[in-house]
Amino acid sequence: MTHILLRELDIPGIDDIEVYLANDGYEGLRKAIADHTPDEVIDLVKASGLRGRGGAGFPTGTKWSFIPKDIFPKYVTVNADESEPGTFKDRQLMENNPQQVIEGALICAYAIQAETVYIYIRGEYWDIADHLDEAIEHARKHGFIGKNILGSGWNCELYTHRGAGAYICGEETALLESLEGKRGQPRIRPPFPAVAGLYAKPTVINNVETLSNLPYILREGVDTYRQLGTDESPGPKIFCLSGHVNNPGNYELPMGGDTTLRKLIFELGGGTPSGLPVKAILPAGASAMVLPATDEVLDTPLTYESLKPFGTSLGSASVIIMDESVNMGWAASKMIHFFSQESCGQCTPCREGTYWLRRLYDRLEAGEIDMEDVDRMNSVAAQMVGKCICALGDFAADPVLGTIKHFKADYELIANGKSAPASVEEAPVTGD
Amino acid sequence: MTWNESAMADLVTLTIDDVEYEVPAGMNLIDAAKQCGVDIPVFCYHPKLGYDGNCRMCLIDLGTPRRNRETGEVALAWFPGVQTACTQTVVDGMAIRTTSETVQNARREILEFLLSSHPLDCPICDKGGECPLQNLTMRHGPGTTRMYWTDRMHLGKHVPLGGLIYLDQERCVQCARCIRFQDQIADDSVLGFDLRGRKQQIITRSEPGFDSIFSGNTTDICPVGALTTADFRFNARPWEMVQVATLCSHTPEGSNMYFDTRIDREAGGLATIKRVMPRQNEQVNEIWLSDKSRFVHHYMEHPDRLISPMLRKSGQLIEVSWEEALGEVITQLEAAGADIGGIAGGRLSNESLFSFQKLIRAQGSDNLAAYPARMAGAELVAQVGVGRGTNLQELGAGDAILVAACDLHQEAPIWWLRVKAAAARGAALIVLNGRATRLDDYAAHSVRYDFGGEVAALNAMLGSLSKRVKAGREVEGLEETRSAAAKFPASRAMSAAARAFAGAENAVVMVGSDGIGASVSQELAQAAANLLVATGHVGRTNNGLIVVWGAANSQGAFDMGVHHAFGPGYQPLAQPGLGYEGMLRALQDNALKALIIAGADPVFDDRRAEDILRATHATIIVQDMFLTQTAELADVVLPTQSIAEQDGTYTSGERRVQRFYQAIEPIGESQAVWAIAQTIGEQLGHPPGKPVATLIFNEIALSASPYEGITGSALTRVEPQFPDVGGKDLYFGGTAFTNRHGLGVQWPTLAEDARARLTVRPAQVGAQISPGRGQLIAVPITSLYDAEPVMQKTDLLQERVPAPYAALNPADADRLGVAAGDPLEMTFDGHPVILSAVLDEAVPEGVAVVPRRLQSQGAPLAAAVTPVTRLERVSS
Repeated sequence: MTHILLRELDIPGIDDIEVYLANDGYEGLRKAIADHTPDEVIDLVKASGLRGRGGAGFPTGTKWSFIPKDIFPKYVTVNADESEPGTFKDRQLMENNPQQVIEGALICAYAIQAETVYIYIRGEYWDIADHLDEAIEHARKHGFIGKNILGSGWNCELYTHRGAGAYICGEETALLESLEGKRGQPRIRPPFPAVAGLYAKPTVINNVETLSNLPYILREGVDTYRQLGTDESPGPKIFCLSGHVNNPGNYELPMGGDTTLRKLIFELGGGTPSGLPVKAILPAGASAMVLPATDEVLDTPLTYESLKPFGTSLGSASVIIMDESVNMGWAASKMIHFFSQESCGQCTPCREGTYWLRRLYDRLEAGEIDMEDVDRMNSVAAQMVGKCICALGDFAADPVLGTIKHFKADYELIANGKSAPASVEEAPVTGD
Repeated sequence: MTWNESAMADLVTLTIDDVEYEVPAGMNLIDAAKQCGVDIPVFCYHPKLGYDGNCRMCLIDLGTPRRNRETGEVALAWFPGVQTACTQTVVDGMAIRTTSETVQNARREILEFLLSSHPLDCPICDKGGECPLQNLTMRHGPGTTRMYWTDRMHLGKHVPLGGLIYLDQERCVQCARCIRFQDQIADDSVLGFDLRGRKQQIITRSEPGFDSIFSGNTTDICPVGALTTADFRFNARPWEMVQVATLCSHTPEGSNMYFDTRIDREAGGLATIKRVMPRQNEQVNEIWLSDKSRFVHHYMEHPDRLISPMLRKSGQLIEVSWEEALGEVITQLEAAGADIGGIAGGRLSNESLFSFQKLIRAQGSDNLAAYPARMAGAELVAQVGVGRGTNLQELGAGDAILVAACDLHQEAPIWWLRVKAAAARGAALIVLNGRATRLDDYAAHSVRYDFGGEVAALNAMLGSLSKRVKAGREVEGLEETRSAAAKFPASRAMSAAARAFAGAENAVVMVGSDGIGASVSQELAQAAANLLVATGHVGRTNNGLIVVWGAANSQGAFDMGVHHAFGPGYQPLAQPGLGYEGMLRALQDNALKALIIAGADPVFDDRRAEDILRATHATIIVQDMFLTQTAELADVVLPTQSIAEQDGTYTSGERRVQRFYQAIEPIGESQAVWAIAQTIGEQLGHPPGKPVATLIFNEIALSASPYEGITGSALTRVEPQFPDVGGKDLYFGGTAFTNRHGLGVQWPTLAEDARARLTVRPAQVGAQISPGRGQLIAVPITSLYDAEPVMQKTDLLQERVPAPYAALNPADADRLGVAAGDPLEMTFDGHPVILSAVLDEAVPEGVAVVPRRLQSQGAPLAAAVTPVTRLERVSS
């Protein structure tokens, strides 16, 4: 198929602005400005059905329409913090096709009439930030950034801003705090960023992949775009496949239809290297309930809605595969370790709960738990849910609740001393 | 929302646990529930700080009315999960459940989380017994923990955040109240969080640590035992202590406080002061105290306190009996007749000050001065002071506050908090000064003058006003005053500030002592009064004049008639006596035969006083707590009591008369100044005195007309206050205490009587001072932490008292060849003083800012030209 998002797979060298321009680059922005008022662009994006690719799947056009018309300045913030374990799609988009990201951000800025765009990029992507800075300069030289863009009378500037290595700063309000120079901690909502975001001004925060859809939508039109995907989840989606598969990587597929986990794992991913059956799937990195690899799960067309009956979600579509060699208690331990390290510490249940769970899972890894401890893990995780300021607390509970629900036998093996807690080679863990 | 805002808001219906209540619209849900008698437990929420939503203790079931888009019907919709109450504002039709199983479970679960790593060291914790975490755990928490003991996080137990405050990291629940207080209320953003997750900890970011004059307040609002004061930690248990209502005896705001006392072995089985806590008075200090108010009390029980009278024999001061000392006093006073004088300090009670002036006057003398003598204008306050009911907390948008020649942060910290908060609510703050002060940060109008131009600046503001600005009442001398003022050139900033002031709904003027002495102070107060009168900002609540006095009860001293030109209640004297300057001259001329100095140490400030007291033949009788520099020159020294050892009243700078009570037994043989004055009077043949302070107060109410009708029961009246901070409930968390001992009474100004005829006169300006080559204008300023005797006796605060310095503009320093830290010699009032050079961009060129009282006689009495000599550094 021809790629809409990962165009570099079809057009080598598209990270060069000349190549990008030679392949309809900035046609989307040109059309937006020449053919449409800002409000019409919002209506087009609404009509396209594009949903936020950062994980929540919120309709993008609707998000834009919440921006008050009469308050200035307004801001666009590009969420390039990509920090969900197993997610590596935004990096590929920014590395290989930065102009597409910039064009998307400019379309958004035009639609809401913002004159400043910040690209908040995770600190570990320092080289990509440099790359983006260069790309921004190229775009400026071509008149897509700066004063009176394409003769519209509309001005816009883009800046990159590097994070300092905190998972929480991918949460949009923590991102805003960090961007303002404060500690990266989520804000209490309401007010929502659309009303009072960056510097308390109306702000749209969109994910890199979301914005990368926009040039195509504007260029080719809503109807063409909607030919891909389902009615509720139109368009292409990049699936980040990792874990126990032979061909890990980013796969751009239309949502729904024949896009299933089975296709992803076995057809594209080439199955497990060990040849062992797939045991469990994390459909959205660490931030969603784990799924057992049943036929029903494997054959469900992937959309934002389709995984709901299984108690999980597509999220950012970072699909992590685990084969039968993995003890899921151990896998949960790795995720709890991550969340306890990444909890910002602001609210009680997450700060205390992740720490407590980590201590319990330390016991699991040392082979020192009994089934009462497993009940305790489940109960501690359960009492975090629904009480926190942001979703991190709920996400942190998911690996515990999910693995105990679907794979309690794995815990029993550890409790009975029948399984070494770490059944695959320990991955190096950074930090403390 | 303040109490007043809530009182004016529309009432809406709030349903709590199926019972309907009427509450003010727009109120925070926690506060609204509290008003209905329902305590929603909190740790991080605080009505003075607003919500932060971090502790999650206040989870409730929440229902809000929602309109069905199809039918248009409004129906109550319950949120599927629990919600934080603290982040909700009450709307009509809102319903909550606080007793459902889900809510009870949520509370238990949050408490289990909070306690999972808590050290549970309540038996040795200062907060134990008055701890919200303890209380809420008892009511809502699990009885046991499910966390393995060895899994707990262990952290620092004694982490100093500075010299005054310690952090116990294990007890901290990360509610951020301390950080928010420092950011929002004190605006000293010196605390913050370090690290994240469970490792997140409070740290101080300042050097020295926790550099704020309000730091002690964080220990009050800390809902656990994480923050404790160096003063009190491990010192007593809350339930062992007796609370005695008292007042701050150092700055003029009249802060309400409690002495928490305990009968103690170390005090010889007697009561001793264990700590000082705020006593809520929303019209005065709310629930805040400056660190000086809180920590300076140690002088009261210091071993250096005078415990018996002393008499000079063969040139030496020797301890003698009261009988012998008083015998000498009587002999000398009888011989002196009317040729006596009295100087009384502003830390004495009204009762002492009244009795003191009564004694002097009964001897036929009106030679009286209140000390410190650098400020004047009380008779103007009596005319146009702030109207009764004035509450700085009510000033906001549409109002104006003018602060002139005052570093309010240092001169009256609590007013600084309240003025800055008023500015944040939208009041137009006008800051008029010769240099930048911290108040400029909140000012709508920062107006500068050259030092010496204070009165001219206020005159110019008045003069710039349009003729259309009316006083609204008949005022004698107003035309003349306005036309005199019109001759002063107004800068654009002055005119703009004056317009803002004149156009304000309510307006208050505060005048201080930045760079000025007594004579300028008098004229500055006059200029301020003129502006207030001319713009109609007198005789009403939240309008009028406040003089930021140099002592806690300076207002009372003037009210009691400790003044050479008026008696108690500002009764003018036909024949004025001698004031401070007059008495110094009379001593020099040996025209006075005896001088009584009570609770004042003029030698510490004034080189001339030292020279004159050394040379005079007059008998000098000093009454003080310590052997001060003045006492060392006395013929008789009588030991007096601190505020902790006696009953009495003070009158704040807002003219609020307030009571305080005896907390500890008198130190040694010390007596209250009123008792000493009465005893002397009786022995001189005056009518017998009163046995207790309250009876003297009754006499004051009969003698000083503004105090007429102020009874003991009026002074002790209390009423419900908002927010409701104390009590036995679990709402506020922290240890600011309900006021059970009286909110005080403000006495009425003349202007409040609509029929009273006000009089103004043009405010006079002195000669402009200008420095010559190699000279600067030395400008004395007031600092909160100084080296006066009582501060020297408080070790805790000593480290915050700077070494004597003069602050210079770097350009002047360059010109004079002075580097930071260089020793400088300056000459004040004819004698040389050595100061360390500090370079500060905020100091105007041509000026050396010299804080008063950092050393004995270390600052000029008023702004004056001084030569500046750089001394060679002494290498150590």
